[in-house]
Amino acid sequence: MTIEQEALKHFSEVSVAVELQTPDMTLNIGPQHPSTHGVLRIVAKVDGERVSDVTPVIGYMHRGYEKIAEVRTYPQITALVNRIDWVSGFANEVPFMAAAEKLMEIEVPERARYIRMILTEMARISSHLMFMASYPLELGATTPLMFALRERERVLDLIESVTGGRFHPNFNRIGGVQPNAGAGPTQKKAVQDLPRGFLQGARDAMDSLLKTCVEFDELVTGNEIFLARCKGVGILSPELAADFGVSGPNLRASGVAFDLRKHTDYLPYDKVQFEVATGTVGDSLDRWLVRLEEIRQSAYIIQQAVDQIPSGPLQAKVPKIIKVPKGEVYVRAENPKGEMGYYIVSDGGQGPYRLKIRSASYSNISVIPILLEGVLVPDIIAIMGSFDFVLGDVDR
Amino acid sequence: MGVVEKFGIPKPISSLLNWSRKYSLWMFQFGLACCAVEMIAAAGPRYDMMRFGIIPFPASPRQADLMIVAGTVTDKMAPAVRRLYDQMPDPKYVISMGSCANCGGPYWDSYSVTKGVDQIIPVDVYVPGCPPRPEALMDGIVMLQKKIQAEDMREKWMERDREPV
Amino acid sequence: MTASPSDTTATEEPTGPSALDSYAESVAKSVGALSWSTNFDTVKVLVATDKWTSSLRTAKNELGLIFFSFLSAIHWSNDVEVGDAPTEPVDERLEVLAAVGDLIEGRLVHFSTSLPVNGAALATLTGIYGGANWHEREAAEMFAIDFIGHPNLEKLYLPSEFEGHPLRKSFPLLSREVKPWPGKVDVEGMPETDEDATQDPAAETMPSGVSTENPGK
Repeated sequence: MTIEQEALKHFSEVSVAVELQTPDMTLNIGPQHPSTHGVLRIVAKVDGERVSDVTPVIGYMHRGYEKIAEVRTYPQITALVNRIDWVSGFANEVPFMAAAEKLMEIEVPERARYIRMILTEMARISSHLMFMASYPLELGATTPLMFALRERERVLDLIESVTGGRFHPNFNRIGGVQPNAGAGPTQKKAVQDLPRGFLQGARDAMDSLLKTCVEFDELVTGNEIFLARCKGVGILSPELAADFGVSGPNLRASGVAFDLRKHTDYLPYDKVQFEVATGTVGDSLDRWLVRLEEIRQSAYIIQQAVDQIPSGPLQAKVPKIIKVPKGEVYVRAENPKGEMGYYIVSDGGQGPYRLKIRSASYSNISVIPILLEGVLVPDIIAIMGSFDFVLGDVDR
Repeated sequence: MGVVEKFGIPKPISSLLNWSRKYSLWMFQFGLACCAVEMIAAAGPRYDMMRFGIIPFPASPRQADLMIVAGTVTDKMAPAVRRLYDQMPDPKYVISMGSCANCGGPYWDSYSVTKGVDQIIPVDVYVPGCPPRPEALMDGIVMLQKKIQAEDMREKWMERDREPV
Repeated sequence: MTASPSDTTATEEPTGPSALDSYAESVAKSVGALSWSTNFDTVKVLVATDKWTSSLRTAKNELGLIFFSFLSAIHWSNDVEVGDAPTEPVDERLEVLAAVGDLIEGRLVHFSTSLPVNGAALATLTGIYGGANWHEREAAEMFAIDFIGHPNLEKLYLPSEFEGHPLRKSFPLLSREVKPWPGKVDVEGMPETDEDATQDPAAETMPSGVSTENPGK
């Protein structure tokens, strides 16, 4: 080692030893920021590149669902609830319908249950594809957005062909489903079933979707930059996840094989074979991989359901004016974001006395301040994005 | 009094300027709620908004000509909407996308929702729907382009310090 | 297709209604609850207010209910500003609900306790379940419940200048008073039911949910 090198080494050691006094800076991200999935505001105290304290500020999308549900009738609430988590509208309707049907003691026809299951899984796919689009975009990759949106349009086409709406179908009725309801007043009662070619179209779309999943593996999961940004970042332990009520893919990425589709009977998931995707570490990469796997599993569910869908009526006999008997019920369902539940307090009227909406993203992001402590500033986005929350689902 | 206020702009020049402005609208995507997803879909591969000359990626309102307010504006969000609008350079345009931004939509009786974004900023084109399809949004954009083409630059110049409605 | 009174969907489950009953009973026994119910497969355990934290601590540490689902409240009141009043008089009270579950069997238990409407206060759960933090802030904001010992009981959703507690039954919706419900649109029949749609002119202007005669479609 030459003298100059030694001097340099000494100099660098000395300069590290001297403590620089840096004041904490408060960094405000949002409420309008391209990578906050909507209107979340994050107030972060940063010391250089290190985040020392994070306060999420929510409520920018609070629309007062629980209050206005008290002045709506049950069929009207259907139109509201699919706007809670707006990338998977159909999946929000089903637990609400299941809760009301449970109170009214209505048995839904098997064909309607299958249609609900197919469309719920399609909503799950479309929600996860939105994540596949937005997460790499937040990390700086634009191309996956185009791949995911292209595939998403195919799924939305199928949903639209049945329900008439791209992602706010308002398609469930208490006691079943009502195809062609979106077709307007010219539509008569005669044609009330799945549109022709839907089942084959679903098969084709699922085949193409499974191919796209392989493309995603090649394009994103194997990407070095992507791995460098997500691997080992934002590790969520299963204990912490349970403590904060984190559910859905985020919980499963932490290694907890808990899926409400396996535990409840709101849809005929017991008739189809599927695996619960779990992660091992609980980092951002696991959350990505779990969602990618869930797309595959949903595609398998749809393939099986399309093959075994029974024929029969689509609507149980319900009174013309829906009045739900007195009682309290809580029905929860596995939504794309996690556990979505409705606690209905009915007083025998046309609308609920109180409707508590348990939305998944709300609990999911409540754990974020703990995860973000001590991370680097660029990791804020890498961690928050991997939780795949929707602000409508947070604020309601 | 400047020259523009006094004499206006000759028609050929103004029409040329309008024509070039209308095909290079930088869009600030104010994605708030459900409509934001449809706005992204409109920018996606199938609908491809860019072919109309809409460039949908400025992250800052300071580089934008057009603001699309897509989704529910809440009372808590309203000051931020106004502030970001004020940061946009003139001439600027606003498209209100979806029922919530138009009038409150399904949350018309809610205690926390602003009943229409036009209470805080001036709106040029309203796109109805809940949410509007990407086609509807594109129709709104084409409508705005027609409006820009027919614009009198002198009037636009005069109203540059306009107050909110 | 209306089912018989026994819940048909429940019988398909591995844990039938009776198993659920015995489970609820065992939970109620171990936390020293006042009463329990399993109506509509919803396990609800009523505990005394002073036993609130100890019951939830038992639930987490001994019963394995580690998953914090939600915490919310119900305002039982006979005097409602919007929506339907209860058909039978109820005791004026705030009922706080905390739902906790496990992550193995998929069980969920709703713990419930009653508070007085004026000066409602309850011990916080933040020391037991971390997730209670935000849920209690929400309940405090919406119902004016004071959670004693909560680290940061600030407003969560609404702007700081907002006054009132929206989910209390006494909170009015001003927009509805300014602008009547567009009832005419609401009672327009679907094509196949046109002929027997109600022709009651009063129904057209009545806000839905106020008139019990209005068949909202």
